[in-house]
Amino acid sequence: MSLQSQLGTFTREFLQTAFRLVPWPTEAGLRAIGQPDESSPVLLTGNFDLTVRRLTHALEGVDAWLLVAPSGGINVWCASSGGHLSTHQVVTALKTSGIADKVQHRQVILPQLAATGVLALDVFRRSRWKVRFGPVDMHDIPAYLDKREKTDAMRRVRFPLSERLQMALMWGAPTTLIMSGLALGLAPTWALPLAVLIAAMSVFVFTLYDRLGEARRWMLLGVSIALSLAATLFAGGGTGALVAAVAAPAFVTGLLTFDYAGSTPTEGGSHFEEREWHIAFDESLCDGIFRCWEVCPEACFDRDEANRKVVVAHDDRCIRCGACVVQCPKDALFFEAHDSARIEPDVIRKFKLNLLGARKVETR
Amino acid sequence: MSSLALMRWLEGSPERYDAGMRFITFGNVTRLHDAVANAAVTRPGDRVLEIGCGTGTVTWLLLGRGAKVTAIDQSPDMLEQAKQRIGDVSDASATFIEQTAAEIDGLPEASFDAVVLSLCLSDMSPSERAYVLREARRLLVPGGRLVVADEVHAPGGLQRFAQRVWRFPQAAIGWLLVGTLSQPIANLWGEIHGAGYALRSEQRWMMGSLALVVAGAEEEVEP
Repeated sequence: MSLQSQLGTFTREFLQTAFRLVPWPTEAGLRAIGQPDESSPVLLTGNFDLTVRRLTHALEGVDAWLLVAPSGGINVWCASSGGHLSTHQVVTALKTSGIADKVQHRQVILPQLAATGVLALDVFRRSRWKVRFGPVDMHDIPAYLDKREKTDAMRRVRFPLSERLQMALMWGAPTTLIMSGLALGLAPTWALPLAVLIAAMSVFVFTLYDRLGEARRWMLLGVSIALSLAATLFAGGGTGALVAAVAAPAFVTGLLTFDYAGSTPTEGGSHFEEREWHIAFDESLCDGIFRCWEVCPEACFDRDEANRKVVVAHDDRCIRCGACVVQCPKDALFFEAHDSARIEPDVIRKFKLNLLGARKVETR
Repeated sequence: MSSLALMRWLEGSPERYDAGMRFITFGNVTRLHDAVANAAVTRPGDRVLEIGCGTGTVTWLLLGRGAKVTAIDQSPDMLEQAKQRIGDVSDASATFIEQTAAEIDGLPEASFDAVVLSLCLSDMSPSERAYVLREARRLLVPGGRLVVADEVHAPGGLQRFAQRVWRFPQAAIGWLLVGTLSQPIANLWGEIHGAGYALRSEQRWMMGSLALVVAGAEEEVEP
């Protein structure tokens, strides 16, 4: 690769990582990876440019068909949970891409994290294609295709340091741009300290923060205000600067620790009623199909093979993504609110996660 | 996501959503909607398939002209709002189906007098557009009409330049409204013609960047 194209790729990679709050669509449709033939596996993903580029890279050495479904330029997990990658987009890709003429089988492999939005049974009913949920992490796909078997590790969201730093960048970059931009207009000397403060807080929130206890939000608020005040006093700032020294970290702390419909992994939808929800299980309905066990990104379920029943063994790890609820063909799983109100599976299927409380459906 | 708050607020009510659409098209969307309904319904009782009905603005206009409307949309939120707008009055003349455009292949052949695609083709990928246009042709009766309204490339250098400049804030607002970005269609008529239609009329607004194409499926056209 030439230096120029390497630079171009790096710039794109950086911009799409730092500003992934806005969609970065790439063209939807069918792509060939390696030299696929009529028996090659069919993989499906969303049309977030960054995902498709990284996936193409991760699949080097594999012969497969890659179906890029129209997910509004949004990544798989967010798009699935927010309604941009649902049964409809998958059916659209399967019907309009021409894949049916390329392969003899009718099995499509989806990312496991698409399970919050794409209903496997509904896709089959509408298109006659069978859905398999592959690994969570794209780097596990070659190994998965080799053995056609998903290990326990492939089922879990690991959230390693590299991903945490990307999340820090995703929140830190736009916040820095806005805050430092404002500072440049109002008090230029504050632009750089603000940028440093926001960068430090972003990295902290996404790396160490979730290891602190319940009081972490207040700890962060206290420490950031104290640091900011100390720095201002040290620099000999006046009253206005001192007020700003308290207001700025308070604002940034609020922004970083406010959990936007679960987009930060640390607070778990803390500001919405979902936080009070827990997964409920009607054992009498369970037929031991274990679809929930297959799609849970936190491995909350165990399999009781002897009785052909699933066991909700680790509901303390549940992040309320809803994947198990929407995929269960028996409606044996549902959410229960703290006042024992029952949220039916079909409500979650239809309206996905209750993004910012916008769902207009009554619970019963 | 922070943007979701605003997006949800805007999407939360059809009025706000439509006001946003009027704003980004300088009010032209109202005239466009009227023209779409006029082109789609030539006499009361016409059977019209509306693909991507959104908040139901066009659905309402079609019903007002006496059409029997089958409106499809892939978003259950949008369908709820469209149903709310129509109310109980036109229940008998309007059918709402939650499905995507590509699924019109399940509808019976030659069962509609007109197929309407109002500001929804540009949200699709090229392969999806080709598929939907082909399938729509199958659904039309002989003499039936395809009515497409969408954002296209403005003709002429100066208009094209103005369109590019205006697209940036427009795209930002559009993203806030619906959470996705769409691109103007470079060769709308070419794509429609390629699916086997013959041109009947074309109208343009906003320096040529907003087009209404009415095409017929009855002519034997070699694509």
